[in-house]
Amino acid sequence: MKKSNSLSVPIRIALISLVACGLLFPGVVTGIAQLAMPVQANGSLISFNNTTIGSSLIAQEFNYSGFFHPRNDSASGLDPDITVQNATLQAARIHNVTGISIAYLDGIIKENTKYTLFFFGTAYVNVLDLNINLAEHYPSIYDRYTL
Amino acid sequence: MITTSAAFIIVVEFGSVLVCGWLLSSYLLSVYSTRRTKLDRIFGPVERAIYYLGGVNPYEEMGWKAYLRAVLALNAVEAVIGFVLLLFQGSLPLNPMHAPDMSWSLSFNTALSFSSNTNLQHYNGGSALSYLSQMAVIQFLQFTSAATGLSVGIAVFRGLTGKTKGLGNFYVDYTRTLVRVLIPLSGVAALVLIFLGVPQSLNGYTIFKTLEIGGSEVVKSGPIASLVSIMQLGTNGGGYFGSNAANPLTNPSQITNLFELALMMLIPTSLPFLFGRMLGRMKEGRTIIVASYSLYFIDLVIAFIPITHLGQGMEVRFGAASSVFWTVTTTAFTTGSVNASLSAFNPLVILAALFGMIIQATPGGIGVGAMYMLMYVIMTVFIVGLMAGRTPEYLGTKINAGDVKLAIIAFLSHPIIILIPTVITFAIGAQAAAGLGTNSLSFTQILYEYTSAAANNGSDFLGSAGNTVYFNVSTGIVMWLGRFIPIAVMLAIAGNMVQRKRYASEALRTDTFAFTAVLIVAIFILAVLTFFPFLAIGPILSYLEGFKNGF
Repeated sequence: MKKSNSLSVPIRIALISLVACGLLFPGVVTGIAQLAMPVQANGSLISFNNTTIGSSLIAQEFNYSGFFHPRNDSASGLDPDITVQNATLQAARIHNVTGISIAYLDGIIKENTKYTLFFFGTAYVNVLDLNINLAEHYPSIYDRYTL
Repeated sequence: MITTSAAFIIVVEFGSVLVCGWLLSSYLLSVYSTRRTKLDRIFGPVERAIYYLGGVNPYEEMGWKAYLRAVLALNAVEAVIGFVLLLFQGSLPLNPMHAPDMSWSLSFNTALSFSSNTNLQHYNGGSALSYLSQMAVIQFLQFTSAATGLSVGIAVFRGLTGKTKGLGNFYVDYTRTLVRVLIPLSGVAALVLIFLGVPQSLNGYTIFKTLEIGGSEVVKSGPIASLVSIMQLGTNGGGYFGSNAANPLTNPSQITNLFELALMMLIPTSLPFLFGRMLGRMKEGRTIIVASYSLYFIDLVIAFIPITHLGQGMEVRFGAASSVFWTVTTTAFTTGSVNASLSAFNPLVILAALFGMIIQATPGGIGVGAMYMLMYVIMTVFIVGLMAGRTPEYLGTKINAGDVKLAIIAFLSHPIIILIPTVITFAIGAQAAAGLGTNSLSFTQILYEYTSAAANNGSDFLGSAGNTVYFNVSTGIVMWLGRFIPIAVMLAIAGNMVQRKRYASEALRTDTFAFTAVLIVAIFILAVLTFFPFLAIGPILSYLEGFKNGF
């Protein structure tokens, strides 16, 4: 019987693996994903006034002091979330700049609060969610600053 | 200190992984035996097609030398394919972002890194790689190195159980691992990850105008979920992006975080159970799972001694406890993916991470972790035999001087290929090129780099700062030595033992809790004392110097 240790066997098996694992596998997974779950597969894109403004998973930069600001020191540099503690601190600034009531700001923070351990752990909010809410509810204040 | 809620999550995670691992071990038993199963109707034709196209004779039984030759030949060819594809990626298809060709030293490092299941990355994948490279180099080698590791682990199991003539056939083990285990499991895992928000597309990166006027962001979508699934399941760890599993596109929520952790723990956890099933004596498997999980638990306790606050370098959605849990787990299973910047952590967390990589069997990487644990068992049986004045025996067979010498070679190769390059780096001042000085901090970073390379872990402090010819070449060589010296030695031990006579009575019981306790202490003493002087001037000194809030 033929022994499988000539150099042609590893070369052929490597090429088969390359096609199966490196091309077919990601290709088939991409096909299924695009057909069955296009929203997630394309990066969970989010819209404002019918315009796509990027991914809800990625932090956006905000300069106007009437917006909530993301943190810029985290591991990925793209962290879309801030702690509720941080958001509450920023609410005071936003109130001073825009005049929006603290009660309203605290309300939307509460509405959007998530926890690092599902229902306990550190409470946090997504910055973009808060800012979209502000821009939609106070167009007179934010129109000049938004897209 | 650990909070009750975090402890609860950790216990639930452990519990589910142990149950799934136990269930998987029963399936793996059928994969690696010649017993016919119902699934043969689906997988059989695929496997036969691969044997036919590959020119493999599936009935050939290999001794350890033939098995090792096949492992080395296949992995070398696969590394060369990866090297060439990276070197010329700029002019190859599926490159919508126009990633340029990689330099020779970085291609060398990357090909050796992924083919050795290490996944040390001296580049930032989000910008340095084309889609083709992410798929046909990174994912390809993540699959093949995981299949190699698992096959070798099984071959070593066969040698120690002694129920077969030889160690099996590497090409058959490798093919069945891919067809019956890794591809189906990662396929399911990838779809779950996509459902939970991880992108999977080939449409190129898109620039969007953001909410605030004048702003813009690039959404770097790509074949991410298919890569993340095998990177965790195969204990590879090399992320799609430089920021790895901290990047929200690869790990969007706490649910994906815990799912990805479970994926990396699954197969290494199932292997001790599989070993017990192959022997027909589950208690021998229990010794291994209890020893490896106890050491992992010690790592966790060390890491949770200091209070880690959610701070710089961590992602808010995971929280501090989850970041520490990940960092210890990813090194204990030698995966190396990271969900927070290592510089965010207290030196004691880094120390716990180093323990995982020094021991490599807590439970360690796919296939090889169990192999290292058996190496420790052989050494412990020998030590206990000496103390009791009896001939050392394991599983009813005598452990001779040759076996112990080989086990010692496998054990000592690890410190040698870590400590010598670490010392050389400082002796010739090569750390300066990566922007490091000569203090306990820099020492920890270089020690961590070579430990991670040798343990085929891949988590690192240096990142793209390590992209110098010196670090690319030296860590590349260390990764292959760290991978294939122990594999060669353990295959040799297994090959020597497979046909050795088995006795019914055993002088030393290895399936008792007493032996398990001795094993744990022996591993701790052997591994930790070897590295103690280096740990002392690295993370321990940093801790004592009072760097309470990270480096």
